[in-house]
Amino acid sequence: MEITTSPKSVTIGDLPAGISFVEASGGVEEYRLESNGLQILLLQQAVAPVATFMVTYRVGSRNETAGLTGATHILEHMMFKGTERYNKRKGTSVFNVLQRVGAQVNATTWYDRTNYYELLPSEHLALALEIEADRMRGVLLDRDDLESERTVILNEFDRGENEPIRNLYHAVWSTAFFAHPYRHPTIGWRSDIETVTEEGLRHFYDTYYWPNNATVSIIGSFDREEVLRLIVQKFGAIPPSPEPIPEVYTREPVQRGERRVQVKQAGQLGAVIVAYKSPSALEPDTDALDVLSVILASGKSSRLYRRLTDTGLTTSVSASTSRLRDPGLFYVFALLSPESTHAGVEEAILEEIRLVQENGVTEAELQRAKNQLKAQEAFGRDGSFSVAAQLNEAIAAGDWKLYTTYMDRIARVTLDDVQGVARTYCVDVSRTVGHYIPTQGA
Amino acid sequence: MAQDTGTLEASATLSERVEEHQVGPCRLLTLHSPVEDVVSIRGSFIAQPDFGGGEELIQDLTVSLLDKGTRKHDRFAIADLLENRGAQLRFSSDGLRVRFSGRALRKDLPDVLEVLGEQLMEPLFDEEEFVKAKVQQAAALRHALENTGAQASGALSRLLYSEAHPNYIRPADAELSRLEEISADQIRAYHARHFGSNDFILVLAGDVDADNAARVVQERFSAWPKHEATPPFDIQASPQSTDRIEVFMPDKSNIDVRMGHPLSVLRTDPDYLRLYVGNYILGGNFSARLMATVRDEMGLTYGIHSALSGITSLYMGNWSVSVTLSQGTVERGTEATLAQMARFVQEGVTAAELDEKKTTITGSYKVGLGTTGGLAATLLHHAEQGFDVGYIDRYPAEINALKLDEVNEAIRKHFHADQVRIALAGTL
Repeated sequence: MEITTSPKSVTIGDLPAGISFVEASGGVEEYRLESNGLQILLLQQAVAPVATFMVTYRVGSRNETAGLTGATHILEHMMFKGTERYNKRKGTSVFNVLQRVGAQVNATTWYDRTNYYELLPSEHLALALEIEADRMRGVLLDRDDLESERTVILNEFDRGENEPIRNLYHAVWSTAFFAHPYRHPTIGWRSDIETVTEEGLRHFYDTYYWPNNATVSIIGSFDREEVLRLIVQKFGAIPPSPEPIPEVYTREPVQRGERRVQVKQAGQLGAVIVAYKSPSALEPDTDALDVLSVILASGKSSRLYRRLTDTGLTTSVSASTSRLRDPGLFYVFALLSPESTHAGVEEAILEEIRLVQENGVTEAELQRAKNQLKAQEAFGRDGSFSVAAQLNEAIAAGDWKLYTTYMDRIARVTLDDVQGVARTYCVDVSRTVGHYIPTQGA
Repeated sequence: MAQDTGTLEASATLSERVEEHQVGPCRLLTLHSPVEDVVSIRGSFIAQPDFGGGEELIQDLTVSLLDKGTRKHDRFAIADLLENRGAQLRFSSDGLRVRFSGRALRKDLPDVLEVLGEQLMEPLFDEEEFVKAKVQQAAALRHALENTGAQASGALSRLLYSEAHPNYIRPADAELSRLEEISADQIRAYHARHFGSNDFILVLAGDVDADNAARVVQERFSAWPKHEATPPFDIQASPQSTDRIEVFMPDKSNIDVRMGHPLSVLRTDPDYLRLYVGNYILGGNFSARLMATVRDEMGLTYGIHSALSGITSLYMGNWSVSVTLSQGTVERGTEATLAQMARFVQEGVTAAELDEKKTTITGSYKVGLGTTGGLAATLLHHAEQGFDVGYIDRYPAEINALKLDEVNEAIRKHFHADQVRIALAGTL
């Protein structure tokens, strides 16, 4: 078989019936299951006899409405309660069957997606495919199962509530976003977790868990034709969704002034987040913001490390761009040292951003940032699960090729671009500042 | 069908692919794997702090200063050197050992090892950096003070061990006071007395050439002398008479609970693997008994697991069960967990459970060796415990060879549900 990266000159032989080749990029091949529109991504890495199988559903807390916050995450838990075929009562729970063969198995929920994965010895790939196909439309959603799982999730919620920094992060997002569903945490509000019904979850499942709203990815050591045949066999009979998958139409209104939020909770050391509205993941400006993040706060050479951590004002500082499907946040996060103040650290962060706006960054800084991102990309290909995790976020952002073309995108970022995004996005009126203020508690 | 990238050297076992060199004082293990450009670095040496004398905190501070400049390069020159190449080097302190881990692109490996050598052998210990390191260390201790998991684990360690045991965790608030008293001279003296090539192991896995690596290691590390520090430490635990301790922390609606008792086995004891697999059946993964009952059936917790903790070939550790419980379910959750532990000890495990976990453990072991980081970490771990290179292949065979009666006998002999100590932390 020979496949080239240009769809017009592809030579494909011996693809299983029902599978069509779509395109290839950076070693990743995209196929489509013709019967139902399931997107298939394959990346062969013959480094070790293991593989990662992953199903990404394009549904997350972004798709939730008031009263149903946290539903995507609860549904993710319920997917492990099983189907008619794989369930605990029969001794064939998903975890039992998969962990028996040494699989690392789990699932995660985030704003734009829910993913289920199995990292396992390659000879057991068929089992992972079988289980994921089975639960794509066959989950039981039993009432008793939901009740026992609800308290599990409430303990997960409480574990999160223990963490002041996590509460600060949520407070900043909830303050920065008024209208868009990114405003609520993926785990949901406690009262919604306490009251969601199996009917509510069933509605969610029946709306979003369809092959035409999913991508299966296989990364690692495997036989291409064999896995494509298996995909036809296991997923081919599942129909596409009877209705179109609903779009999220809500756009966040333009922010017209700085917003500030405080979290007061028992603890030891404070924290500051300075956040700005940022563009969606696929916008070129987001690449320049990624470079700006590295220059500001990645490593000991970075500006904020030198300004804040090296001088003892913070114990750590980081910067990041959310890279989500819809516009999100670019933010700087700093953990205060015992002697510093929120105001002092906030002012230092603002001043460093101002310096980039006024003077730009140096060629040496730009090159170092690109080198760091390039090495990160190379190390990110070490192991099938690491690749799957990155591919998952690209799928969620709207285009899996964001993963394979990322270094090309970063290579195109110029000095002017970095200064430009600092000037365009890091503006007072779209800023949200969060302070975690430790208290002595009760 | 041909594979697209790299080649699997399927005919050779892993240990046959590992090249072992004794390069001066360094035991160098290299494993080439068909991954492009990437090399993972893992290594360690024995520093042997005086645990009874409270030297672990001094070791922590010393380690935190290793990346803050050397006699040849200041901290920013080193950061530039590494970060311009996208390379990383990190240091950590873990009981008797100081460890380091890192990554480099193939072409940068010699330069990165050069930096590593400088950092280990010629750290600057600048006075200003020392003051900042103390602030950072104080912050880390204060973060531990607000973490329920850290508080519960620390409290359990103090119920099980004496101060002279490597697994004893000193209370963070007391450590904060002690930190104030430590001087830069103490750090310099500690480095002089405890840093050396004692049981020095370096593992390189990935796109690495063994002969080139050996040459570089010879140049950088052959002159590193051994140190002579051999302060005594307790090998066995010394459980206290108190069997339960509660750490009150405000604003913490999730309670972290730790339960356990000492175990009289070393890593090299034949009973170790029997206990390891037996315990795995109780609480080693999501499909183990504790998750299946306390979480799945009863809905009492998000996370519960059990482990053999702090056991090495040089000192003994303990059996531990960790569970998180929301306010209102603490007593029920604790009792349910203890009941499962008691049932496990009394009834042992079944043949079906043993068979299942054998394939789980050997399968996940294989999966863990799927990255250069996983390969390097496993090789280092085995080398630290005194196993030869062949153990990387023998380990799954030893797991598969375990017999049901051996496992159940080891469970009966070593696990005792009535000797369990409990530590809880949160808003109780």
